[in-house]
Amino acid sequence: METVGSDIILSIKDVSKSFPGVHALDKVSIDFRRGVVHGIVGENGAGKSTLMKILSGVYQKDSGSVVFDGRSIEHTTPYESMQRGLAIIYQELNLVNTMSVGENVFLGRFKEMKGMRGTHANARKLLDSIGCKVSTTKLISELSVSTKQMVEIAKALSFKSKLIIMDEPSSSLTAEEMAELVKIIHQLKAQGLSIIYISHKLDEIFEFCDIVSVMRDGRVIDTKPKSEFTRNELITKMVGRTIENEYPPRPRSVGETLMEVRSINTHKLHDISFTLKKGEILGFVGLVGAGRTEIVRALFGADKVRGHRVLINGKSVAIRNPREAKDAGLGFIPEDRKLQGLVLPFSVESNISMASVANFSRFGFIRKSLERGIGARQVQALSIKTPSTKVPVVNLSGGNQQKCIVGRWLEISPSIFIMDEPTRGIDVGAKYEIYVLMRKIVEEGGAIILISSELPEVLNMSNRVLTIFEGRITGEFEPESTPVDTIMSAALGLRGGAA
Amino acid sequence: MNGKGIGASLYSIVTRQKAFIFILVMLVGMIFSRSNFYSAYNLLDMLNSTSILLILSFGVTLTIIAGGCDLSIGGILVVSGILSIKLQDFMPMGWAILCAIVFGIAVGFVNGFLVVHQKTEPFIITLGMGLLLTGVAQELTNAHPVPAKNPAFMMIGNGDFHGVPNLVMIMAVCFALSYWLMRYTQFGRNLYAIGGDYDVARYSGIDVIRTKWLAFVISGGAAALAGVLLSSKLNTGSSIYGELTALVVNCGVVVGGTSFAGGIGGIPQSALGLLVFGMLDNAMNMLNITSYYQVMLKGAVIVGIIWMDCFANKRRREFV
Amino acid sequence: MKESNPVLRAVQVLFRDYLVLLMIAVLVAVTAIIEPKFMSPLNLVNIMRQFGPLMMVSLGMTFVIIGGFIDLSVAGIINLVAVVTISLIQPIGQVPALLTGLGIGAACGLLNSAVILSSGALTQAEALFLTFGMSTVFSATALLYSHGSTMHFWDIKTSKSIFETIGAGTLGPVSVSFVIFLAVLFLLWVFQTKTTEGRAISLTGGNKTAARLSGIGISRAIVVIYTICGLMTGLGAIVLFSRITTAAPVIGAGYETNAILSVVVGGTTLKGGKGSVLRTVMGVLLVVLMSNCLNLLGVSTYLQVAVKGAILVLAIWLDNRKQV
Repeated sequence: METVGSDIILSIKDVSKSFPGVHALDKVSIDFRRGVVHGIVGENGAGKSTLMKILSGVYQKDSGSVVFDGRSIEHTTPYESMQRGLAIIYQELNLVNTMSVGENVFLGRFKEMKGMRGTHANARKLLDSIGCKVSTTKLISELSVSTKQMVEIAKALSFKSKLIIMDEPSSSLTAEEMAELVKIIHQLKAQGLSIIYISHKLDEIFEFCDIVSVMRDGRVIDTKPKSEFTRNELITKMVGRTIENEYPPRPRSVGETLMEVRSINTHKLHDISFTLKKGEILGFVGLVGAGRTEIVRALFGADKVRGHRVLINGKSVAIRNPREAKDAGLGFIPEDRKLQGLVLPFSVESNISMASVANFSRFGFIRKSLERGIGARQVQALSIKTPSTKVPVVNLSGGNQQKCIVGRWLEISPSIFIMDEPTRGIDVGAKYEIYVLMRKIVEEGGAIILISSELPEVLNMSNRVLTIFEGRITGEFEPESTPVDTIMSAALGLRGGAA
Repeated sequence: MNGKGIGASLYSIVTRQKAFIFILVMLVGMIFSRSNFYSAYNLLDMLNSTSILLILSFGVTLTIIAGGCDLSIGGILVVSGILSIKLQDFMPMGWAILCAIVFGIAVGFVNGFLVVHQKTEPFIITLGMGLLLTGVAQELTNAHPVPAKNPAFMMIGNGDFHGVPNLVMIMAVCFALSYWLMRYTQFGRNLYAIGGDYDVARYSGIDVIRTKWLAFVISGGAAALAGVLLSSKLNTGSSIYGELTALVVNCGVVVGGTSFAGGIGGIPQSALGLLVFGMLDNAMNMLNITSYYQVMLKGAVIVGIIWMDCFANKRRREFV
Repeated sequence: MKESNPVLRAVQVLFRDYLVLLMIAVLVAVTAIIEPKFMSPLNLVNIMRQFGPLMMVSLGMTFVIIGGFIDLSVAGIINLVAVVTISLIQPIGQVPALLTGLGIGAACGLLNSAVILSSGALTQAEALFLTFGMSTVFSATALLYSHGSTMHFWDIKTSKSIFETIGAGTLGPVSVSFVIFLAVLFLLWVFQTKTTEGRAISLTGGNKTAARLSGIGISRAIVVIYTICGLMTGLGAIVLFSRITTAAPVIGAGYETNAILSVVVGGTTLKGGKGSVLRTVMGVLLVVLMSNCLNLLGVSTYLQVAVKGAILVLAIWLDNRKQV
């Protein structure tokens, strides 16, 4: 067994983890010091989440050693991990929506707290210690994301945690809420806690992290005090190649106005109006929950919205449901491909032909011969890796599954393609293929509305971006010629964003 | 806010307190009927006849809050009722009753295995279990009600203590017990967590499998108790109460505000929901509505209430 | 992955996908040995006779289940269609009565779909409770309409020849109802496998969200599946009372569980999406054969109910293990 210095709270050596077909982690080694805010940067798919899930006990490592607070950790569960003093606050938040704040802090420890009164009293104390004023009897479903995070921090403190891991905490926070969080982080540090802060936002890392580790493709590239990094060095190490090679050149075929949307109003959206030009990729930039998905769902007829107008090629079209959207020439790749996009037990062929059934039937009857060609055609055109078109689509990797959905729509050649997080959870190679595909679509006269939480992605792929904040369009920019900070300010609802 | 805001909040009040509103409507309606509805005798009688259903509902509520449901309670009800009578031919009354309740617990255990351990859809598999037990019940009795021979047995369900019927008192004890269980014990709070978010509960160290399994065991036991009491009250073991009861009780729980989605609701809410049906039955009898119309009205009420629950869930649900 | 013996794999597949067929074969073999009366022509004809009503209802139920829903109202629909149709033979003539009966079945199904659609219910559990409520409404209507009384063929003074043919007629060596069954099966099979709407239903059952977002009309699919089920149930009711020449307002009792049992046992998964009317035929065959065998072996009707419940539980459990 390794001996570690007492100033090291967590030592990871040569930890590896594989999933079927994917090497998620490759001999990762990092030493985390006590009382330090240790940032971990990396792009999506770099392995940060996987590493954290191994530490917290959701996954089990394949090999390597983990020593926490002097003790070697082998097989563990999330609860054991918390009891040892290692708490993790996930991006998706581990709270029960239907229960109160107090009960969530002490979930499963009702008896320890001596019932409801003890639970709420102790929760109150913990929340006060981090300056959170929310009532402990309020239901989680009624809280904002930043307040929910505070509840999670209170939960971590209730376990007398020594190390708190925060996984991308800032993706849904406003600037003020972020400032609150930073204050709490400094407070926790002063109390002697160690913090691991995971993010792909460099500004945050530079602001309050003491030591930074860079991860890429499942490996740790470097670990140094922040002061020894330059920004460019960090970016280069994160990305591993020059930016030009990560995205194809921006399409330059923007033409006249293809679609005009006027006045979408729902209880979440306020007076959304915009245009879309032929040959253009229009990006929607905003925080999680700002309303980007709501806008495209309203446009696609997926949600019941009235009172807005959509004009395509100058003519007014009525889109009241997805079928009418399809007829009007729209295609939609939804956010969650497993739940909303695919019929997992069905074959690759069936999933690809789903939207074009009318094309291969005559008088209401399906012509199998026509359908057979579709699967093969798209598999070839998009290089979908599958043993055959008859296998259940659940067997394919994420990237190939996504390609099936793209192929489904390509079959009917929509003029307007809506893509909601098209490269989420996809490995780097497949991402590039999808970018190339997107470019091809617009070069051939189509137009794409792109929603992505990956700022580099949406900024590099789009000709134009709209920033969306709290259900309103706060700005319209050309990413090629606008500084990133300006766009981000508008997306965070700060003054200075051009309307 | 504006008119829209008022309408929306009114709507949410109606959908969340549907049981309360239904009862209010009935109470008001019955004022205008020229019947004995409001006599002390009738009100007590109403409570008495609903007691059995109430005891059933306390058990079922546990399973629904945990995110499942139990449609086998009708079958458990009849079989344990029959067992409690038939076994008295072989053993003293006390032991017969105990065996009948143990039977219910055993069925609950099997239900728990299938639903929690094997992860099958609860509603259809407990429905099948109920069917199985109904068949068993019919077989045991040859479809003829089995009369009880022990007068002491009959006293359990029909006697009273200073004017308060035994059944009502037993029901009150069950109410208090299950209320305490759900609100003041770790087990009960864990059930809410499991129903609210299974994975979060699991990650928090709650033994989700054992806890949810236990909910089904308790539901089975409660159903068996109700069965014994029903047999005692009618002084016969009969097989006819099966299917309809299961669905009515589950619906009643939903009426009261415990949603099939899990994680919300509670014992008092379920009691209120069952009272809706109990009051409906009683009111219909008071108004001398013929039995065919009664069945139709009950069916329409069930459809209406479940419809409202679905509609409310539709608004709660995010994306389809 | 270990490469296993192809023969072993074939046996595994046989067990998994064709368990029903195997069970039928075993049951037939065992009964034929124990009770030689089983193979007598009289018994075989008797078996074929049992097919009709349950088969119709089960075929209709198949669509609802493939679509990802369930229909517990079929018993009520049978009750209603039976008592209304039989009562109309004399006043309006047998052909109009027949058409009216079918129409009522379809209308009940349509009503079911309207209730489900308007409530926004999208899960099988919600549909279960809603259709159960509708069943009580339909049954109560049947009771009210008939005043609780049973009507017999001998009460009808005018011609009821069509119904008598359906109930007892033969076309050469086979019964008329069998011919009707074959015709209906063919139509439904073509509908399920070869039409766009059939595909739409299958996709809806597979993943309602994905189907809807691909432009498939899931509302229309829901209307279609319940209407077909209602129509087929109506047909089943007609075959039923034609066969036993009476129509009591409780005549449909137990059909919902038998139909669901047949569909599940036949191999169509309750989770929706995958399934086939042909598999349901096998399922009905098994259920009917099982009843017949148990009867011949002297098992009481009540115990048979228990056995059916046990098999339903077993079938659902196995079906679930297969999916997971």
